[in-house]
Amino acid sequence: MKFRLVVPFILLTVVMMAGCGKREGSATSGKLTIAVVPKGTTHEFWRSIHAGAVKAGREMNVEIIWKGPMREDDREQQISVMEDFISRGVSGIVLAPLDDIALRGPVANARAAGIPVVIIDSDLKSDDYVSFAATDNYLGGKMGAQELIRLLHGKGRVIMLRVMEGGASTTNRERGFLETIAEAPGITVVSSNQYGGPTVESAYRMSENVLAPLTDKSGALTIDGIFTPNESTTFGMLRALQDGGHAGKITFVGFDASPKLVEALRSGQLNAFVVQNPMSMGYIGVKTVISHLRGEKVEKRIDTGVTLVTPENINRPDMKDLIEPDLTRWLE
Amino acid sequence: MKRSSSLAQTLGPLIGLILIFALFAVAGPASFSSLNNLETIARQTAIVGTAALGMTLIIIAGGIDLSVGSMIALVTVITAALLQAGLPPIVAALGGIATGLLCGFLNGYLVTRLKVVPFIVTLGTLLVVRGAAKGFAHEQKIDAPLTWLKELLAALPQGEGWRIVPWGVWLAIALAFLVAGVLLYTRLGRHIIAIGSNEQTARLCGVPVDRVKVIVYSLGGAFAGVAGILQFSRLTVGDPTVASGVELDVIAAVVIGGGSLNGGEGSIAGTIVGALIMTVIRSGCAQMGLPNWVQEMVTGVIIVIAVALDRWRQRRKASGAA
Repeated sequence: MKFRLVVPFILLTVVMMAGCGKREGSATSGKLTIAVVPKGTTHEFWRSIHAGAVKAGREMNVEIIWKGPMREDDREQQISVMEDFISRGVSGIVLAPLDDIALRGPVANARAAGIPVVIIDSDLKSDDYVSFAATDNYLGGKMGAQELIRLLHGKGRVIMLRVMEGGASTTNRERGFLETIAEAPGITVVSSNQYGGPTVESAYRMSENVLAPLTDKSGALTIDGIFTPNESTTFGMLRALQDGGHAGKITFVGFDASPKLVEALRSGQLNAFVVQNPMSMGYIGVKTVISHLRGEKVEKRIDTGVTLVTPENINRPDMKDLIEPDLTRWLE
Repeated sequence: MKRSSSLAQTLGPLIGLILIFALFAVAGPASFSSLNNLETIARQTAIVGTAALGMTLIIIAGGIDLSVGSMIALVTVITAALLQAGLPPIVAALGGIATGLLCGFLNGYLVTRLKVVPFIVTLGTLLVVRGAAKGFAHEQKIDAPLTWLKELLAALPQGEGWRIVPWGVWLAIALAFLVAGVLLYTRLGRHIIAIGSNEQTARLCGVPVDRVKVIVYSLGGAFAGVAGILQFSRLTVGDPTVASGVELDVIAAVVIGGGSLNGGEGSIAGTIVGALIMTVIRSGCAQMGLPNWVQEMVTGVIIVIAVALDRWRQRRKASGAA
């Protein structure tokens, strides 16, 4: 009776598990298993990290398990994911911590359980990790500011849309931008205290709200320049500018690349963006944890590089690998 | 009648829990059913489980509280701020719980005075409390000095295995027994069930409906406060963005455990089992390396199946009695 209802459900569950289990099967044949824990899974940026990790995994013949927090950017959920990997007993973990303090506990537990952790993307205030491989985010924000100053010839009104409360990497970019822009006497920052939030949708809405009071009666914007410190705020802001008919009429410097943003740069709606090298971050993260497992000495701090992309240099072949890497090769 | 059926009520979800656990134990890696992982599951259930104790009372009384996630966030922020101000941990924790109680009281007060349905009132306070948390924390997380509070839900250190699970889990278990006792053996418990079963009748029978409702929402807030302390213990920082959407997990735990959104039905044991079911699915999927989207779909399917089974069972019972 009751089982008539339960059985199809169990079958369904088994089928779903079997369907997905193949891709990332559980522990097999003594191969090293490296868990890679991003901050989220939907941004283009994390897909590149994933691709880099898979690339390293294939080259070094280890199994990569990719799992982010269920809810994008949720500290609690990321802690749970770490705990699950620790109790599962993976060989090593590559973690992009959502918080420089809250993730200390799980990293300490991993170390106690004999699982080495390599930190990527954002710093962790801890001595329990093996190595930290990331972009110099302060420098990235600084490069964005310098480009905006150059494009505006040192004068004008600018805004910056922040990303999230408490994210170490984006906060450093914001700081790098604001401290550099403050050195240009002709430039005033009109707005820099609004947060775009975790998704493109929330950043889009916030952009509209920020731009609305900065529009004059004729519908033109009363500002000259915009800086956004990550992919979701850049794309959200771009969408808001496009909707208002302002795209291309205002100097706009963004951060991180995605196909849509490259298209915007080519069509002149975006003047420049700063890119990190997420694929190399994922690659180096996995490689470093494996080197450590094999008893080799690894650097405590590894810089994975930042680059300014402009319409002038975008067609150079080395830029193509940076902004439009062929992810499908690695992610099926 | 309620009392005798409460055991049977829990039985359905319990069988579900055992089936799901067995499924992962067979299909998943050996580490899934290790003692270590069982401890992890217990720790990961404590927060939602504790908040769900209060939610069970609210739902039995025919109400709903969408603001628990926001309350948890506010409590972590207040607790961190109190610790930062140099107050002893116990005071900071009590301050956090009092904050939750106050938020819950506000919910109850608004529901009874404004005569607006709880869904709308708490939808409003969800935003108000979340905003308050962010404003109070100046839109940042608040770092706090490390104290024994962080041990509440930390993994057991070497040589302390006799505790089986950390103190925070024991606290949640003790509270569960306490609330179950209140629900089954006190006048307040009977009033809560009476209001949820038929508010008009309860009022005519002399149940102080408004007062009981305010008490129930306040209790709900206090349990969200305790959940907030447990959350703080895991994060070690006050985080105004944490626990967004947790209200849905909490409500799902109650509903999977046999609670009815129409009021009058639900049990503490069922709720705990409901919360455990969700953690077990999460843990099992993670151990098997399944992607998040599978886990989300599996959880969704289970919620619907669990409730459908329950309603089907009740219909059968009703037609059998007639």
